[in-house]
Amino acid sequence: MLVEGGHVFAVTGAVLAGLGFYSFLVKRHPIRQLLAANVVGAGVFLMLGGLGRSPGGADPFAQALVITGIVIAVALSALGAAMVVRLAACGDKDEAPLGEKREGP
Amino acid sequence: MTSESLLLPAAVAWPMLLALASLTPGFRSCLRAALPLAPLPALAAAFLAPREVLVNAPELLLGGGGLMLTDAGAVFLGAAAGLWFCAAIYAVRYMRDDAHPVSFALFWNLVLAGNLGVFMAADLASFYVFFALLSLMAYPLVIHDRKPASLRAGTVYIVLAVIGETALLVGFMLAAHVADGAIMIEEVRAALTASPTQPATLWFLIVGFGIKAGLMPLHVWLPVAHPAAPTPASAVLSGAIVKAGIFGLLMFLPLGATFEMVGSVLAFLGFAGLFAAALLGLAQTNAKTVLAYSTVSQMGLIVGVIGVAQAAGTPAASVLAAVALYALHHGLAKGALFLGVGLAQHTTGAWRWLVVMVLAAVALSVAGLPLTAGAMVKEVIKEPAGALGASLIGVSSLTSGLILARYLFVLPASATQTRPPLMLLAPTVALAVAALCAPWMVLTWSAATIDYEPSDLLSQVVDAWPLGFALILAGIVVLLRLKCPTLPEGDLLFLMRQGLLGANATLRRVGRFAQAMATPVAREQRTKQRGAAWLNYLDSLERAAQGQAAIGGLLLLVAAALGAALLYG
Amino acid sequence: MSPLDLLVATPLGFMLAALAFGGQGRWLILVASPLMMSLAVWLVFLPPDAAHVVGGWDLPLGILLRGDGVARVFVLGAALCAALVGLQALYEFSPQSGGPSARNRGFWPLFYLMWAGANAGFLTTDLFNLYVALEMVSLAGVGLSALGSLQAALRYFLFALMGSLAYLLGVALLFANYGTVDITLLARTAEADAATLMALAVMTGGLLVKSALFPLHGWLPPAHAAAPAPASALLSAIVVKLGFVILMRLWFEAFATLAAPIAVGLLGALGAAAVIYGSIQAMRQRQLKALVAYSTVAQVGYLFVAFPLVAAAPSAAWSGMTLHAVAHMLAKAAMFLAAGLMLKAAPGRDIADLVGLARVMPVTVTAFALAAISLMGLPPSGGFAAKFMLLDAALDQGAYIYAAVLLGGGLMAAVYLFRPIAVAFSGAHGRAVALKAPLAAVAPLALAMCAIALGFFGVAFAELAAIGAPWAQGDAIGGVP
Repeated sequence: MLVEGGHVFAVTGAVLAGLGFYSFLVKRHPIRQLLAANVVGAGVFLMLGGLGRSPGGADPFAQALVITGIVIAVALSALGAAMVVRLAACGDKDEAPLGEKREGP
Repeated sequence: MTSESLLLPAAVAWPMLLALASLTPGFRSCLRAALPLAPLPALAAAFLAPREVLVNAPELLLGGGGLMLTDAGAVFLGAAAGLWFCAAIYAVRYMRDDAHPVSFALFWNLVLAGNLGVFMAADLASFYVFFALLSLMAYPLVIHDRKPASLRAGTVYIVLAVIGETALLVGFMLAAHVADGAIMIEEVRAALTASPTQPATLWFLIVGFGIKAGLMPLHVWLPVAHPAAPTPASAVLSGAIVKAGIFGLLMFLPLGATFEMVGSVLAFLGFAGLFAAALLGLAQTNAKTVLAYSTVSQMGLIVGVIGVAQAAGTPAASVLAAVALYALHHGLAKGALFLGVGLAQHTTGAWRWLVVMVLAAVALSVAGLPLTAGAMVKEVIKEPAGALGASLIGVSSLTSGLILARYLFVLPASATQTRPPLMLLAPTVALAVAALCAPWMVLTWSAATIDYEPSDLLSQVVDAWPLGFALILAGIVVLLRLKCPTLPEGDLLFLMRQGLLGANATLRRVGRFAQAMATPVAREQRTKQRGAAWLNYLDSLERAAQGQAAIGGLLLLVAAALGAALLYG
Repeated sequence: MSPLDLLVATPLGFMLAALAFGGQGRWLILVASPLMMSLAVWLVFLPPDAAHVVGGWDLPLGILLRGDGVARVFVLGAALCAALVGLQALYEFSPQSGGPSARNRGFWPLFYLMWAGANAGFLTTDLFNLYVALEMVSLAGVGLSALGSLQAALRYFLFALMGSLAYLLGVALLFANYGTVDITLLARTAEADAATLMALAVMTGGLLVKSALFPLHGWLPPAHAAAPAPASALLSAIVVKLGFVILMRLWFEAFATLAAPIAVGLLGALGAAAVIYGSIQAMRQRQLKALVAYSTVAQVGYLFVAFPLVAAAPSAAWSGMTLHAVAHMLAKAAMFLAAGLMLKAAPGRDIADLVGLARVMPVTVTAFALAAISLMGLPPSGGFAAKFMLLDAALDQGAYIYAAVLLGGGLMAAVYLFRPIAVAFSGAHGRAVALKAPLAAVAPLALAMCAIALGFFGVAFAELAAIGAPWAQGDAIGGVP
């Protein structure tokens, strides 16, 4: 077997992280960058979960880490998406701070 | 610890307390009235505090240090405190209509604390802190009237002060290393004396203290900054604060050991300054500027003597006592002369003549008129100055006499008021009297270390021929109404500016770089035309660092470099 | 209960309360400031081996909070900063300030979240808990900078996100290798294999983004320049320091024996480059806040210049490094607050607009100048004491290049910080208008005085910072078997 046990997850995770990082580098639009960062995050969590697999099954500690990490990633993605949307609504060049009234619809 | 030794911490804590109090709103009304109180504990300490007893404060600063009064330090301390006291009384009246009373009182007291502390510090750290307090807090005093000329003078002052502080810091750190981490000044000096392989340390110290003492090529700030400050502040700047630089040299140079190179350079710079500064001062039209040049000249004399002693390996004790005595006389006299400028502004007629007579007496003493205190201190300081130094000091009466005659000649006059205010007159006269008497008193107290045998009157008079020659020259100039040439303040500084503006292409390049450095980013285009390519490179670097690609790319780069270093390092 | 978990739980409670109270939530700071200050002081006086397991779970799952010397000084410094910045924010974000009400309300929950995250980060030594703390602080930091400019905040967000992911990648590698992410355990078991070293490298890269070390500082100047003054103050004082503290823990606690001198030297070189680059950029700025922001880039450089010095002789440089971080915390917070007030009174945002300001607001300008003294490293100030200790260590080790950078950086700081002060003191008739809030200058002045006062207590600080320091236990750094 080329890879054993949880390592198949870890390798997949590494590939995912690499792909995500590449597209983070080459993409310019913030939404795409946000998505790319999420792919990197998914890859890292997969690595964490896969490498943390003990021979007897899943390691509860690793799973706790992954779940916490996913929660944080969701919160951050939501914040990032909110900022991108707000920025798009205000026009790209506008340096409008959060909480200022939006013009138009 | 006796109660008298508590006077030492009190001497620095009390002005700091007054400085704090000057920030309290309820205290505003009596701000100026409290100024003369500030140096009183120090004055008492100079007379009463036990010598060579360490008062330590283990928890403050680097720990293990403290305050200690040496014999020489006591002379410096007493002279400074007396001068600050008289100048403060003078300031009470002189600064009556001042626009920034809080600022004046605050920084006056802080500078005072630093000035007094320097003369009592027993370890490197507290010496450095007091010295920095003195240097940096004097900046607001220099720019006190906020006039453009004062602000320019302040900029020159602060630039040199910060350079001096840095040089001093390096010097102190190196010195502490020579002394294996000891921070007590005595141990450091002993270590410097014992290891002749550390000249770099000495050079840093000389630059640091030389800037403060107005050593000749480093003196450029002094003729612009001293006149810019309000008159009482000029008096303490020139009378007491430059002495901190001299005191530092005395404390840290390894006197007694022979450092020929260091000593010769110091002697050369000092004696060159003694004559050059006096001649440059002749070309000034502002009385305070003339006095500032005279200060540079007199400090040059002291540094020259220290240099000779360093080169010859003269024991420290005799140098210390002689220099302390000379500095005492010069400090009090220069204080009186500076205060006299402000006093002369307020007087006309007979009163003015009286004032000029008093100032002339002080001036003659500084120039070394026989039988005065000035002649005596000159005689004393000739002892460690060697043969050449002694004759140079003798001849310097000529230039000193001329520059002080120039000072009396350009003294301002008032058109309206005829009688000087008592609050201005009394401190000036008191300082003048002190300058003429105090050195004799100190001489009797320190008979053990100073060997003064007055020669007979005739030879003294004959030896004073340069002074007589100066008086004759001055008389001729006044009678024939000859005009002195005029030069801008701050000689070298002016020359440097001219040089930058002038045709010298290299210098212009340097200037262009300096200008481009200070050019804000928005004026990028103009910078580009001027061809400062590396600055444009900086801008593109910053754009790259802020760009989107940098987020991942630079991170990858740094992480990869670190990884490689960790793996293969 | 112990102050260790109270220090984390209390700000979180205040965050919820601030959300619940809405517009009136700002008054909570009047309770929070003294409460948090007393907790921080309590922490300082705990016995040296103070530790606390939150909730009583067993170790790998439970959260261990440990009050070692580094934690104590940083928690105390952050408490001083946050308490005073919070008081200032009471004025800055009041309904009378004219700002949008969403902004005024939005500040407070973010502020408490940052405080909780920072304390958690300083107190914990578990790499994953550190990740969580780092994200709390980054989240709050992005939110705070979004109060100024969305664009800058988005850039900061993307930088921070990448930094976090790099850090997490390292944590995953370490966990796979050793089955633990506790720093104390790692210090005992870590070996210099490729996976460990790569983990250290990517974690360091990520954290360097967070602590804005050149050339990864790109997010900092725009985010600072646009944000409201209290937000800038918190970003420069606290956010940047958390990344640095984690780096300290990684390089000198967990992997002290593995770090090759050349790698530590690389960090030192980056630090030196940051000092020079940040100083030059600061000299060239036209706007006041941009100048102060680049000064942060330069000052962060000092912290990393200290890295090779600590690695070579930890006992000498350790206190210098921590003292510099805390002094910079206080001084930079004071400077941003003072700059914010000055810009409110000045007609424009440029340095040239400050003409005559010293006459209009002497106390504020004094606070700015005092903070500048500490940043320049002039005595007597915390910045000076720190530089003195670092310089001492550098000369001791014969590291003359680092000594020259320390001194040259101080001179350059004097050049660029003198410019705004000189302008503020010049000119009798500037167009500045006095603020109608005489008490607003209290917080910057108090912070600046703290930064100065720190200089008088160098010895006491060094003793505090050495509590439980890795090199003091004899099993780490510097050739100790």
